[in-house]
Amino acid sequence: MKEQAVISQVKGAPVTQKKVIAVIFGGRSVEHDVSVLTGLQFLEALDPGKYEGIPVYVDPLGQWWTGAPLTRRSRYPLEATPKDLTQVMLDLATPASGRPQLVAFSKGLMGEKRTTIPFDLMVPAIHGSNGEDGTLQGMLEFAGIPFAGCRTLGAAATMNKVFAKKVAAQAGIKVLPELLLRRPKKGEFLDPDALKKQLHDAFGETPFPFIVKPCNLGSSVGVGKANDMDGLVAALMTAFRMDGEVIVEPFVANLVEYNIAVRRTASGDTVTSAIERPLRDAELLDFKNKYLAGGTPGGPKLDTGPSEGMASLNRVLNPDELTDAQEKFIRGSAGGIFDALGLAGSVRVDFLCNGDSGELWLNEVNTIPGSFAYFLWEAASEPLSFLKLSSEMVEEGFRLSGDRLGDTGTATGGATIFTRS
Amino acid sequence: MTAKGWFHKVEGSEGQSLVWLHGWGMEHASLLRLASLFRNTHKNTLYDQPGFGHTPRLQDGAGTEDYADALARELEQLGGAPHILIGHSFGGRVSVQMAARHPHLVKAIVLIGGAGLQRRRSLAFKIRARCLRLMGRMAQLSDKLVGTKFRDAYVQRFGSSDYKNAGALRPTFVRVVNEDLSKVAKSVRCPTLLVYGSDDTEAPPEIGRRYESLIPIARFVEVRGFDHWDILGRGAYQCEALIRTFMDDLKDE
Repeated sequence: MKEQAVISQVKGAPVTQKKVIAVIFGGRSVEHDVSVLTGLQFLEALDPGKYEGIPVYVDPLGQWWTGAPLTRRSRYPLEATPKDLTQVMLDLATPASGRPQLVAFSKGLMGEKRTTIPFDLMVPAIHGSNGEDGTLQGMLEFAGIPFAGCRTLGAAATMNKVFAKKVAAQAGIKVLPELLLRRPKKGEFLDPDALKKQLHDAFGETPFPFIVKPCNLGSSVGVGKANDMDGLVAALMTAFRMDGEVIVEPFVANLVEYNIAVRRTASGDTVTSAIERPLRDAELLDFKNKYLAGGTPGGPKLDTGPSEGMASLNRVLNPDELTDAQEKFIRGSAGGIFDALGLAGSVRVDFLCNGDSGELWLNEVNTIPGSFAYFLWEAASEPLSFLKLSSEMVEEGFRLSGDRLGDTGTATGGATIFTRS
Repeated sequence: MTAKGWFHKVEGSEGQSLVWLHGWGMEHASLLRLASLFRNTHKNTLYDQPGFGHTPRLQDGAGTEDYADALARELEQLGGAPHILIGHSFGGRVSVQMAARHPHLVKAIVLIGGAGLQRRRSLAFKIRARCLRLMGRMAQLSDKLVGTKFRDAYVQRFGSSDYKNAGALRPTFVRVVNEDLSKVAKSVRCPTLLVYGSDDTEAPPEIGRRYESLIPIARFVEVRGFDHWDILGRGAYQCEALIRTFMDDLKDE
């Protein structure tokens, strides 16, 4: 064993030799808390031999923080002015070094002091709006900052449920019909008669129940079931509080859900993970039983490890009730939508199934799924540990960001106006 | 698990044998999360050490060398030697003893928050400890001579929770916490990985650094942001990566 060399490497190596990976989580999103868990899990799964992880926490007000105490779950929620953390912002202008950086300002003796925290790649771990929806990705692309996961288009297209379904339908993937409703203007009320007509136009004579979902949110927050007109109005009011656009879909009887993760390997193959069937007590998967199921009296245990958040949702992995045809549909559709939208990272695709008839529909695509769906990869036919998954996502991020920029010199496009020496 | 011998759980069946040894007051389950990450690549045997979980205790006042000798007898039966021993805390003490006393059974050892060296303490701490010990002895003496019940009160007030909960293992506990494995560590010949959480107050990184200087072939790594316990939970992937790299380097030899 070349022990001496290895020891000096571990002891003396400057931290800068490793790639610095900034994991951004939290955010101004209803899924803020779950995002904290996902972000911390990713940091904990980063290979310490290759990467140095730094937490970047976006609090519900939109302020950015960094510092080692953020890696502890017990540190949340933050107080108003945390003293052990550094408030930072992202430098959107490319610094002279060419390396992305966070900037912190502090009061020094000679006025304001500016310090920088350089990094090499950012990992968006923010679920839902302002993170999973392409806005963060667009900002990073604009700034030329390498990042992991889906690019702007894929992230934006999948966040809008109606748009994602249109693309899926065009790729030949079966989806449920839907009715898109916009939030009434201030002072206006939902008109039940107009609503009835719209329902009739969209679904014909399809009777109740319907399911109501916010159009632009990733999780099951704001999802409600409507058994009659009163229920529909109530469910719409709840959903409109979360989102300006809401969709109404027929409720799938004997509902069973199946989820699967998709990614692209370094050699360019689209591969799928294990399939999960989430276990539910209630008829409907709402936020409570999605994230707080199994909560022991006295609240969830903090700082215990990766087995929390989406990873602790009770599930059946590789359920044996699926027929070969159903499994083929799930794997094929998941890979199909991934390719059609040119997605990246670890993407989870969710399906609805009528447990009696066996009929399946693609429901939605999550480009930043809870816990990055690592538990689905660990249970795949070719198991992939979270440690490897995180490395693959980081390296893919570097590759995709490197590919994008290309040559932006004006001479390349024959668009030179000013004479350069 | 076996009808006789040490209770154990097996994870995985292929590859190099990894033997997992838990810390004081714990049982094999405390290492299950970490060990399960090696399920697809290694044969993992997680023991309940004597006196913990489902394994009966050894003789009164058994020390870490007795734990090692008893484990050696277990491993002779298990097959698959030489093993890589992975010990957390007290399990680290037993691993060091195993490597020193039964080298033919041990290919390498990994200590996660491994104990076994006396903590460096401040003078104030030492004085306080001396005084307390004296007080304890006097309480015991008084109990014996005039039938007072001072000793129990003393233990309740000043005894550590591990001491209070040790039950029949109390003589072992007293021996173990007072032992120092410096000499034993010097005679370890196998490669050793030392993993310590930067926030560990039970077995601080300083112990790992001293182990590194005592054990001839040793690699010390301090993992930032983890303590004695959560390094096994949320730190599992960090440990996995370090152990895998260490084992890959063993192969290169």
